[in-house]
Amino acid sequence: MLRYVTRKATGWLLMIVVATNATYFLASWFLDPRSNFKELRPVRSEIQIDRALAPYNLDPQVPIVRRWWDWLTSVVLDFDWGKSPTGVSVNGEIGYRSLVSAELVVIATILSVVIGVMLGVYTASRQYGWADRISQAVSIAVFNIPTSVAALAVVFVAIWLNQHAGLHFLYVAGENSPNVEGLLPTIGDRLLHLILPTLTLTLMGYVGYHLTQRSLLLDTINADFVRTARATGLTRAQAIRRHALRTALIPTATSVAFSVPALFTGAVITETIFGWNGMGRYFIQTISKNDVHGTVATAAFAAALTAVGAILADIATVFLDPRVRVS
Amino acid sequence: MTRATTRPRTSLPTGTPAPVLSVRDLRISFPSESGPVEAVRGVSFDLLPGRTLGVVGESGSGKSATAMGIMGLLPPSAGLRGQVLLGGRDLAGLGDKALSDVRGKSIGMVFQDPLSALTPIFSVGRLLADTLRIHQDLTKRAAWEQAVELLDLVGIPDPRNRAGSFPHEFSGGMRQRVVIALAIANKPSVLVADEPTTALDVTVQAQILDVLRLAQKETGAGLVLITHDLGVVAGHADDIAVMYAGRFVERAGVDELFRRPVMPYTARLLAAVPTVDSGVHRPLAPIGGEPPALVDLPAGCPFASRCAVALDACRAAEPELRGITGHGDVACLRADEIADGSLDPAGTVTGDAQEPHSGRAATGDVVLRVEDLVKTFPVTKGAVLKRRVGTLHAVNRVSFELRAGETLGLVGESGSGKTTTLLEILRLKQPEGGRIEIAGTDVGAVGSAARIRELRRDVQIVMQDPLDALDPRLPVFQLLAEPLQAIGRDRESIRSRIRELLALVGLDEAVSDRFPAALSGGQRQRVGIARALATEPRLLVLDEPLSALDVSVQAGVINLLARLKRELALAYLVVAHDLAVVRYISDRIAVMYLGHIVETGDTETLFSDPKHPYTRALLSAIPVPDPQRERARERVVLEGEQPSATRVPAGCVFVDRCPLHRLADEEVRRRCRTERPAPVDVAGQPGHQYACHAV
Repeated sequence: MLRYVTRKATGWLLMIVVATNATYFLASWFLDPRSNFKELRPVRSEIQIDRALAPYNLDPQVPIVRRWWDWLTSVVLDFDWGKSPTGVSVNGEIGYRSLVSAELVVIATILSVVIGVMLGVYTASRQYGWADRISQAVSIAVFNIPTSVAALAVVFVAIWLNQHAGLHFLYVAGENSPNVEGLLPTIGDRLLHLILPTLTLTLMGYVGYHLTQRSLLLDTINADFVRTARATGLTRAQAIRRHALRTALIPTATSVAFSVPALFTGAVITETIFGWNGMGRYFIQTISKNDVHGTVATAAFAAALTAVGAILADIATVFLDPRVRVS
Repeated sequence: MTRATTRPRTSLPTGTPAPVLSVRDLRISFPSESGPVEAVRGVSFDLLPGRTLGVVGESGSGKSATAMGIMGLLPPSAGLRGQVLLGGRDLAGLGDKALSDVRGKSIGMVFQDPLSALTPIFSVGRLLADTLRIHQDLTKRAAWEQAVELLDLVGIPDPRNRAGSFPHEFSGGMRQRVVIALAIANKPSVLVADEPTTALDVTVQAQILDVLRLAQKETGAGLVLITHDLGVVAGHADDIAVMYAGRFVERAGVDELFRRPVMPYTARLLAAVPTVDSGVHRPLAPIGGEPPALVDLPAGCPFASRCAVALDACRAAEPELRGITGHGDVACLRADEIADGSLDPAGTVTGDAQEPHSGRAATGDVVLRVEDLVKTFPVTKGAVLKRRVGTLHAVNRVSFELRAGETLGLVGESGSGKTTTLLEILRLKQPEGGRIEIAGTDVGAVGSAARIRELRRDVQIVMQDPLDALDPRLPVFQLLAEPLQAIGRDRESIRSRIRELLALVGLDEAVSDRFPAALSGGQRQRVGIARALATEPRLLVLDEPLSALDVSVQAGVINLLARLKRELALAYLVVAHDLAVVRYISDRIAVMYLGHIVETGDTETLFSDPKHPYTRALLSAIPVPDPQRERARERVVLEGEQPSATRVPAGCVFVDRCPLHRLADEEVRRRCRTERPAPVDVAGQPGHQYACHAV
């Protein structure tokens, strides 16, 4: 088992390296930091601009392979992801933001999977019952709402609730409140800020799990081996839980890994609407400001999240399906 | 059963023991779009401990529904009425929770398809241990020990190590042994086996039936053996109940039933089974028509419309099951007449099978010649970089020829290379090794695609399951027009040819605008045959053409195939697992084992005088629908299973399982191990060849 997971993890690490370096070249080709200086008054000469960019390893006159090599060595040796065209350290920006975003994406992923799978199991064992029909209708409706619309709707509902119920714990902007001190109050404050964005992302994420888990389980619920299990003396619910569900969860575990990028994209929109300074917003800012190093760092972060998801999925698969240990 | 006093070969103590299972007026219905389907309409029986009740019926007769009803495993939408008394307690109407205490503990069940009946993600030891722990208070360790013992009991070699293996690491026969172990784990008093051997090879079938008998002996349970195979029940049941349209129509001791079937349906069913017992070709008399749909069943006997001796009264009211002296219970108005021999239940109708068998009439041109055909598959390992770690020898130097008007049957266990041989012939390409010649043309030497297309017209295939083989979204007309359009026929000639084809296979023209789903099994297979015949082929390859059909329908298709062969001078290459059917339709037979033809010869010579030990074992494993002979005959039960074709022995491929090899002297044993036997002719029997050192 350990060998299996290590092998998989090595593969993913390799994938992150390749993806990040590919992004570096793509970003260097398509993003032009010089254009940031074109608008400035007094107008600067090309040479002045290049000279301004040179300390940040962004000078277009330097061959791209050399820039890449310098960037790579600094990442590998000092874990320094470079500077933006205005000289701000990427590490400084990312350190805090990645925590904020990871918090959001990880919690939302876990919630989506748990809620989606539970709903799927509940409705599959009551196929065509009213609970099944209603939850399916809701899921399909939610599935068709764009993230931005859903996020705005959540904001409106929260404001309405705050106003009418006199509640003031649903924060619709920012990831924390200023002037909060002490460890416990800080954690509590952050959690309260998490509620709405997480809710939005979960709404966007659970539907897929609900619908696929439902049909996966329906495929196995009538399988011969479930009938065999019942014939040995399990009740229908026990047979479904012990024999059908475990088999039907295997494909879901695999799909979780590949849903992380989609969730991350959703987080870009959510963060913008809820005024969070997370990686999603940073991603958009870096691209619009031609910040090559910032973009690459964001891509690496997304790749790392995906890899973490995939490795967790692999561990889950090994746990669910002992056959992979054998072969 | 209650009339156990009439049983001849019983070792029952005096005084009838109390039945372990009593079913009273069991009725099961399923909702459907066209109204409730009355799948089971009043079934009653008693099962005594240690005895076997065989329930025989065709698909849709309600036999599986009965089993599920007893087990309480019907879908929630099904309605169940009547009583299922297990040790005096009525199971009908109990909730899932209460039933789960009974299932596995007092009733065990063996299912049909062992490939899908075991949870793939648990080891067999875990499955068994879990089953034990549901009903018994055992530690994990103790349960595992018992699981190993159970695996040993059902004949899994090296049970201690194999208990940790997963179902996919076992062969079908071994998995069925595990399913039996699951069923008997908690020593139930009743075992229900629903078609336990249908999905298995004939040699494995014999082994599994022995295991089932052993399991029954070990637990002293009463066994309900459900099957469509009359041969299986003849050897293994004490009493037999014949089911038709959701009811028992005849119930009797096994000897009485086979000696003189009284219900016309039973009699006709027995007459429709090809038997291998004699060289004489008894004509097969198919039962006309189809079993009735169980929605809004009309009044009267459901068999009346297919019955040759039906009276007007038969159509008025459905006869009840009543006792016939010296026989059993029969639901037929004319049972007394039939029982005393004054009425032949087959009536005067004998079907269209009166033509004499042609015998060895194959004097036509050679249509197919296969010489030293070789086909291997690489065995690879690794996910990304596939390394070749071995070679699977699917077909190894196979040679035969087939003449117009002749049928060659390929027989052997699954994995013996029969289907691969067929596919290689159908591929119409240069084989990996050897040569294939169709109608005098070497397919390897044909260069142009146009010529290959022409050759394709000469070779057509009929598949096993017509429901899978026919596109469900095309009506029959389109299905038949397709091959004709492919060879560029114009619209008018297609139309007339389709009329011809439908008449040829005995279908009404009205079916041409129906979809396959609206046809019965027999009609569908006729469409499949008509489609194969559309391009006027000279060679028809039939891959298990009858195994998806019910016995009563099968006979009609067999007769059709015989007629077509005679009229159109076709050559048939047949693969079938039912050796009785193969014997009936083939002129010559080739026995395959691990990709080799081990024996070949004329059907009757081969069946009456088999030379190769594998052929003998194969033939002796066929169950015979005759209880006395079935019990008396000696069987060569092969041990173990066919080895993997990746490790073919250097010498004779059969050496590991060969009963002769074990008894042979040292010199012969050495040759068996090292030297592959060449086919030798049998003196005085032209065309009969076998490959064995020890005979």
